[in-house]
Amino acid sequence: MDIGQVFTFSALGSQFLVGLSRAMILFIVCSGMSFVLGVLRVPNVAHGSLYMIGAFAAFSIASLFGGSSTGFWLALIFAPLVVALVSLIAERALFCHLYEREHLMLLLFTFALMLILDDLVKLTWGAEYKSFMAPPFLRGSIPIFGSPFPRYNLFLLIIGPLVAIILWLFTNKTKIGKISRAAAVDREMVGAVGINVSWVFGAAFVIGCYLAGLGGALVAPIVSITLGMDQTIIIEAFLIVTIGGLGNMWGALVGSLIFGLTQAFGVLFWPQFAIVFPYVAVVIILIWKPTGMLKSVW
Amino acid sequence: MKKVLWIFIVLLGFFTLFVIYPLSSDARPIKVGIIDCYSGSATTFTYDVRDAFKIAVDEVNAKGGVLGKKLEFTTRDTKFKVDLGISMTKELIMRENIDILMGTISSSVALAASEIVKGEKIPFFCTFSKSAKITAEKGHRYVFGITENTSMIGKAAAVGLAKKPYVRYWIAGDDYEYGHALADGVWGNLQKKRADVKMLGQSWWKVGEPELTPYLTAILSAKPDAVIFATGGASMVNIMKAAKATGFAQKIPMFVHTATELSTLMPLGQQAPEGVLGTSNYHFYFPKTPENDAFVKVFKKEYGRYPKVGALYGYIAAQFIIKGFEKAGKVDTERFIDAIEGMKVGSPVGEVELRACDHQAVLPMFLGKTKRSRDYPFFIATDITTIPGPEVMPTCEEIKKARAK
Repeated sequence: MDIGQVFTFSALGSQFLVGLSRAMILFIVCSGMSFVLGVLRVPNVAHGSLYMIGAFAAFSIASLFGGSSTGFWLALIFAPLVVALVSLIAERALFCHLYEREHLMLLLFTFALMLILDDLVKLTWGAEYKSFMAPPFLRGSIPIFGSPFPRYNLFLLIIGPLVAIILWLFTNKTKIGKISRAAAVDREMVGAVGINVSWVFGAAFVIGCYLAGLGGALVAPIVSITLGMDQTIIIEAFLIVTIGGLGNMWGALVGSLIFGLTQAFGVLFWPQFAIVFPYVAVVIILIWKPTGMLKSVW
Repeated sequence: MKKVLWIFIVLLGFFTLFVIYPLSSDARPIKVGIIDCYSGSATTFTYDVRDAFKIAVDEVNAKGGVLGKKLEFTTRDTKFKVDLGISMTKELIMRENIDILMGTISSSVALAASEIVKGEKIPFFCTFSKSAKITAEKGHRYVFGITENTSMIGKAAAVGLAKKPYVRYWIAGDDYEYGHALADGVWGNLQKKRADVKMLGQSWWKVGEPELTPYLTAILSAKPDAVIFATGGASMVNIMKAAKATGFAQKIPMFVHTATELSTLMPLGQQAPEGVLGTSNYHFYFPKTPENDAFVKVFKKEYGRYPKVGALYGYIAAQFIIKGFEKAGKVDTERFIDAIEGMKVGSPVGEVELRACDHQAVLPMFLGKTKRSRDYPFFIATDITTIPGPEVMPTCEEIKKARAK
């Protein structure tokens, strides 16, 4: 292979942007997971399934409108709400009764929830691959740095930081956000000052799941929506929240950037072995900083 | 005294079991056990095999069954896992007393099951896994290939690509046995047909990778003449979406084995890239024969969807099982195998032979290009060239050589 051809400014630039846009999806999903992890101290194993439901729900909503632009925007708004509703039901009907139990029970519950949700998705949407498209102005590509860059990925580059800002405002400026941050640090104290911890946990769980659904809805137009898409994301999400620092939402951002960018550049530099790049990065970070890049709330 | 009585009772029990059981076996149905992956993204393929198989089974049972016996089947979900596949195969053979084993989409499960049936002497119809090893070097008397395999796909693709002017190729695909075997199959055969082709580089992503854009943008900057994609499962759709979004398909000619398959094109609707080359064993709209039309009609009526390639495999497997027992005249494994070796059955794609030397079904391959359709809400394959089965299959001598190794 002609090395000079690969290391051009245009190739590097476009890989950087593509990696960045991938990182945005990962960030949205992982920030939700990290949020739940921070407040409830439980890695939500069903997070991937909720992401999958987000994608399937987005497909259904978009199809209702015959694949029009309106359908896409409504899908983006309502699909995460569907996921939030599902998680609210699961939380209030089942999960909230387990908060007093030992930690392992909570973990087992999320695992059971994953299995149940996966089968529900199969029953509801069937086995076929599903797909829908972004509205026309987000289709196709525009040249950036001389190479074609998909418009939808550009859109993701705008949405990602937007979500990050909203999350920051939420956790720092709203009461519920502040309470959940406090619960992450010392939940007994939060209970002692008279706050209903069960509701704080419930709200945190639903918000985290909403973000999973938003990630699913955002990724839906660029991938095939299929059973099993939860498995892929959940492993990456666990790695990202671990290298970012458990329960730290900004850690999720850092982890996602590392993951997305090492992958994109790995593909360019050494395509045969590109798969290992993000994982090598994870190993290096864990050796260098075993508790993750940013401060873990645990 | 009591002890002697107990021993007597137990012996009597055993005796009745051994005498009565074979006597009652006349009324016993013929049992088929299906192991396959019925969870995750594989289901879109495996359901079709099962559903088409069921149509054929219901049909024959309505007519009074096979040799006067009912044909029954039972399924097990292997979840794509080898250990589960092995224990389920054993369970089906030992507890369910199956006469025939069928499945599966995973090559590693198929190869493991093939080893078990070799010892247990149970015929195994391999219905979806594409590993060429199953009927070549790992083939034996009890295993049958009812699907195309990577060496057949490779040869078919090479026939198509050798006619094109492309010289500098890039290869990309899913990083697992199937992806690599497929790529090696295409590339090896293409090199045999054209001495001047060159490989610029390769990219491999992990199975199920959702976002393929970074791979495509990287390939674009290397500027190959054409790209061979070896993708399976959900990547089949992902690659088409990414090719459309990045404008890749308009810039660089692509061969994607499954590009023209319904499981890829239906979810894409009107948003598939045009002109992508692909191969398949089956299209519900091609060949336009009365047999195919009738099959599509029955399938669509029963399940409300068009049959995909898996339906063809399920249907053919059922035909071999039914016709095989009928020809054998009784439920006897060895006579059944002798009966189906070299047997020909009718199918939606014409008459299909089960080659005697390697137990591989001789299936034609359809090489085509994706194109917008006026009749359906999704793209279809056009400019279809039918490559007859014998042209893409290894010869019996090659099989012999591979097995001798």
